[in-house]
Amino acid sequence: MTEAVRTHGLFKRYGQQVAVAGVDLVVPAGSFAGLVGPNGAGKTTTLSMITGLLRPDGGSAEVDGFHVWRDPVEVKARIGVLPEGLRLFERLSGRELLLYAGRLRGIPKGEVEQRADELLAVMDLSGAADKLVVDYSTGMRKKIGLAAALLHNPSVLFLDEPFEGVDPVSANTLTEVLRRFTASGSTVIFSSHVMDLVERLCDWVSVMSAGHIVAQGPLADVRGGRSLNQAFLELVGGPAHGREAGLSWLGARPKDDQ
Amino acid sequence: MSTVALFARLKLRLLAGNLRGDLQRRLGFVFTLIMAAGLAVFGFLLMSLLRLAPADIATSLVIVAFALFLFGWMIVPLLAFGLDDTLDPAKLALFPLRTRTLAVGMLTASVTGVWPVAMLAVTSGALIALPAGVGGALLGVPAVLLQFALCVVTSRLITTSLSGALRTRRGRDVLAVAAVVVVVLAQLPNLLMNRGFGDPEAMLHQLAAVLRWTPPGMAAHAIADGGLIGLAELAFLALVVVALAWLWIKALGRALVTPDVSTQASVRKEIGLVDRFVPDGPLAAVVTKELKYIRREPRFRVGWFSALAITLVLSFSLSGTAEGTPGQGVAIVITTVGALMIALQSGNAFGIDGRSLWMNAVTFGSERSLATDLAGRHLASALVAVPLLGVIAVVTGLLTGHPAAIAPAMLSGWGALGIGLGVGSVTSVVLPYSVPERMNAFSGAAPGQGGQAFASSMGAMLGIALLSLPFVVPLAFGLLWVSVVAPFYGLLAETLGRRLAARIGFARLPELLAAVSKAS
Repeated sequence: MTEAVRTHGLFKRYGQQVAVAGVDLVVPAGSFAGLVGPNGAGKTTTLSMITGLLRPDGGSAEVDGFHVWRDPVEVKARIGVLPEGLRLFERLSGRELLLYAGRLRGIPKGEVEQRADELLAVMDLSGAADKLVVDYSTGMRKKIGLAAALLHNPSVLFLDEPFEGVDPVSANTLTEVLRRFTASGSTVIFSSHVMDLVERLCDWVSVMSAGHIVAQGPLADVRGGRSLNQAFLELVGGPAHGREAGLSWLGARPKDDQ
Repeated sequence: MSTVALFARLKLRLLAGNLRGDLQRRLGFVFTLIMAAGLAVFGFLLMSLLRLAPADIATSLVIVAFALFLFGWMIVPLLAFGLDDTLDPAKLALFPLRTRTLAVGMLTASVTGVWPVAMLAVTSGALIALPAGVGGALLGVPAVLLQFALCVVTSRLITTSLSGALRTRRGRDVLAVAAVVVVVLAQLPNLLMNRGFGDPEAMLHQLAAVLRWTPPGMAAHAIADGGLIGLAELAFLALVVVALAWLWIKALGRALVTPDVSTQASVRKEIGLVDRFVPDGPLAAVVTKELKYIRREPRFRVGWFSALAITLVLSFSLSGTAEGTPGQGVAIVITTVGALMIALQSGNAFGIDGRSLWMNAVTFGSERSLATDLAGRHLASALVAVPLLGVIAVVTGLLTGHPAAIAPAMLSGWGALGIGLGVGSVTSVVLPYSVPERMNAFSGAAPGQGGQAFASSMGAMLGIALLSLPFVVPLAFGLLWVSVVAPFYGLLAETLGRRLAARIGFARLPELLAAVSKAS
């Protein structure tokens, strides 16, 4: 089994706060992998460090066997990234953004134009291709961001919360494209906290909690006969019973008091 | 009464919340406090010292001052819209508040703060400056309060009625540029004074004679008058305040139920001019993108506009103050300063890309790619700046009556541009900072990065000044032929600066990205 991504003891702290405390993430090549964890588990920080956007305080990361911080040329040519927050070049139109992203990587203009047109059509963005990105909706932004990440045909795609705030129609388009992408042998790694989605799409799951990987492996192994949601809650320590104390007023009608 | 207390507390809580955790912000706030206290004390003293001036001059000055205060209250919150969460009625629309309650609350919120209190202190200086007798002193207190109320209500009325427009992208884009226009306009009286139009005292009285009939002028006049006329003026002023307040409540009621107008999305098409002379590749991509940004991004428009405005202001004062006809050096100086101003914009090249810079960062695998990026940015600036500096050189050369100075001016301008771009690319990677999305006229950096911004522009200016010495000094001694070398020297400086910047910048790409991605 070749690995698309492997990290060793990846570590990052912000002041006193340890965001990522020694993560050993493994993702086999060709898998559709989900990185799940509660908010603040360190998913975004981990992905940023693997994609070279954030310098780790310790540990190492490899993509397709290339060291992220020692072989940036090899690594950056192989990865596509859709970070969280989705700040794009807002004053370009969708088409111009794709052209910029492709040509910046040295792909000839004619080639980029053709790929951009096809991507825009697949993403259902042809109508909005000449509007400025600043006027796009969240779903449109995620789609144009994904298109820009796919443009240079990467072998590993990193997506941070790609489905957050996306309507079902756009989400469906995104998953269709991603499925086609992994079917060709490429790897997708995406972070999410929507368990249903991960369960439906992924064949590999890494569960993060408080800066650590607490479980990792093929979906069936991690799930272990339960629903992924159940398995996840047990792994990260879901709510204990008895927290319903208090809140007795919630849902009570005023007339009940009388 | 509870509404007043509630909103005052809300405002104070917002102020306190802003300060939590961040030392630089706290220092900034302390600085603001000192400034405001200084303004209050100093302004009050200045106003009251007018007592020592002849009565007519004092009256005229206070009339003009009151009118200026009102004007300030009208535009400052507009330019700084977004500094204060209590000012936007939409934020409060979901609470079950009656419009009247809301109006009282928002008025409270807008007078709670250091600057309004300081302004009230300054305004009340008129109580000492003007009254000629007991009547004036008695009328003074309501006059000062009415003037203050007028300022507050007018400022509320304007922000509320524009708040819908201000929330759209286009509205904010327009406003960003408008802010600079206002700053430049503020220079106008200064310039006129410099050029010595008439005698200042007569001008003051003329101005006051007109402003005297505006509501703030009436307030000031009433204090000086202290009699029945003053009383009538105050009654009228009170009516104006009430009418404005009524209008404001109406506007508030409308603003609460009118949804945000979403801006019509604008459609842009690729023309591809750049591709005709730049070979296909990353360089062409960067030049194309940068040229579009210069046209479309308000922060770029503001930058270019202010660079030109400063050059214009400077050329006015340079050519105005010189005795007789200006020397032939003036054209050279003006063009070079113009080049400097344009180049200074590149002193933080990645600041405007801000959080979108990750897109470049995930692409750049080597120093070369970063160098190409910088080269593209420089080429785009040069494509606009080189012809522009040419025009400035020709115009100033002709206007100062030294056509012979045109060629040296143009050449040294281009040289200075090259040096500026070279130095700017180094400061861009050594001292990067975020340029806030929503520009206001008061700061060019994200909260907490003011120091970096200051150091960056100081460093850039110092570097440019030092590197320009080799051709500026000979030029100053009249050796005009040296200017022939300037463009080549500038090109050399640009190339070396860009290489150095790429080396430093690539090594600290993640830190660079973090520095320009600060939330604003």
